[in-house]
Amino acid sequence: MIIAPLENFAEILIVLVLTTAAIIIMKRDIRSLIKTYALQSLLLAGMALLFFVETGIITLLFLAIIILVSKVWVIPHFMGLVQKKLNIKRDIQFHFLSPITALLASIVIILFVYLSFSNLLPELNRFNSSLFFLGATVGMSIVFMGMIVIFTRKQTLTNIVGYLTMENGVVLFSLFLTELPLLVEFLIVIDLIMLTLIATILAFGIDSTIEEFHTRLNPFASPPKDAPQKNSEDDKQ
Amino acid sequence: MNYFLLIAYGILNMLFVLLISPLFISLIKIVKAHAQKRRGPPLLQTYSNLFKLLKKETVYSSNSSWIMRVTPLVNIAALLVASLFVPLLVIPQPTDLVGNIILFLYLLALAKFFMALSGLDAGSTFGGMGSSREMAISALIEPIIMVVFAALAFAFKTINIPDMFRGALASNVLINPVIILISISIFIVIIVESARVPVDNPETHLELTMIHEAMILEQSGKNLALMELSSAMKQLLLMGVLINILFPWGLTQDFAVPSILISFGAFVLKAVVLAVIIGLFESSCAKSRLFRLPGLFAIALFLSIVTLIIEVFA
Repeated sequence: MIIAPLENFAEILIVLVLTTAAIIIMKRDIRSLIKTYALQSLLLAGMALLFFVETGIITLLFLAIIILVSKVWVIPHFMGLVQKKLNIKRDIQFHFLSPITALLASIVIILFVYLSFSNLLPELNRFNSSLFFLGATVGMSIVFMGMIVIFTRKQTLTNIVGYLTMENGVVLFSLFLTELPLLVEFLIVIDLIMLTLIATILAFGIDSTIEEFHTRLNPFASPPKDAPQKNSEDDKQ
Repeated sequence: MNYFLLIAYGILNMLFVLLISPLFISLIKIVKAHAQKRRGPPLLQTYSNLFKLLKKETVYSSNSSWIMRVTPLVNIAALLVASLFVPLLVIPQPTDLVGNIILFLYLLALAKFFMALSGLDAGSTFGGMGSSREMAISALIEPIIMVVFAALAFAFKTINIPDMFRGALASNVLINPVIILISISIFIVIIVESARVPVDNPETHLELTMIHEAMILEQSGKNLALMELSSAMKQLLLMGVLINILFPWGLTQDFAVPSILISFGAFVLKAVVLAVIIGLFESSCAKSRLFRLPGLFAIALFLSIVTLIIEVFA
């Protein structure tokens, strides 16, 4: 099997993007979560650049630049600021699934996506190349893995990282499967920046978790059993 | 099949592993020391430690049985046999005699089993604690090691380690993306098996952290030297597997002096780079609690199962 070097590089990048998604599911430290997200976006930008070199479509170059500016620099920088102001270092509380079960669940998801895409294989001519198949599968899996991050983590900042990971998955998927016009991509990114802004402003308002916000809304209600105030102290240690 | 060449390969590989493995123990220590702005031990410190221990007499606890006496020999014997399985300089001619990956893993497990038994044997509290911790971690990591090496076998379509290296050498791809996934898993396996920081702390004899050190606490003199040498060899063998599947360049197939010399230089260079990476990784993270370790192992499991999915269904 002889693979052109560019295609080989693309496959390596896909595999590394998947690894960063796994790290995002496992990590509890919010600063390294944000850094991992920036790294994932950098890998995506590299992939867009690689495709530009291979195909010469100018749109891909713009896409790489947009990803580089917005997702590698602006969004992580802004989230870092918010993290400093909120003074939350770790996210150690989980809903439904612990990180390990979440990781095992994502194995099942990848298998599921792989099997369902291989059923679609004859329908889509783009799937002729194993590279496109791999990219589309990993992209779709990362969307679901981001979703897992959103619903298993308690801290709002981590939820935002999960949302951003989902968006990265969509970009990866679209890079391989469909050619979205640049305008749509651009709108998605603007949408994303606005959403991050709104979500982080909301995060200021609601401290760190939605539960705490709820207790502040109802000052006369009896505190819940697992005393969220105490938990937030634990977070800061 | 040329048996003479096979025997020559065996002697060369075994001697190479035996002589060069203590170097990387010191090297990792030096890297860690520099990360903490210390100077660290000299490069040959592990050798002089081993020589010093070999000159000392061996003391046995009056409570200990034959297990204590036999464990260092079993350890060094298992690792010497295992060192035949991982060609570091020359890939031998295709043969069924050496290189089965399952036997390789069982040899490592045998050494570990006897080490845990000897920890219990002397009846000291530390040894028993170390053994129970080691076995608890082994129960978690051994199935994952199996999956990792199964993924490796699927990727190269063989269960023979020299054939895997031959496949890696022959592949036209710059780096096979699947191999990157397996390499990250093997890196985690190296960290766990050579008792390094997120799992165990090789530096201290602090009750809270030690696992591997606690098990060999009762060993002394020549026996301790054999135990330390065998753990250094184990580390080098696993490093060799990682290096030769990821960057096999320089590894030679013909048994001639010039190509062996080139291969020697290339391997030492690559191993030094890997040892520096291990040292930096160790410095960058803290010893994690025992309950947090499955998280590290789960990443290795995840990546190797993804490899299996890609290899089986693609």
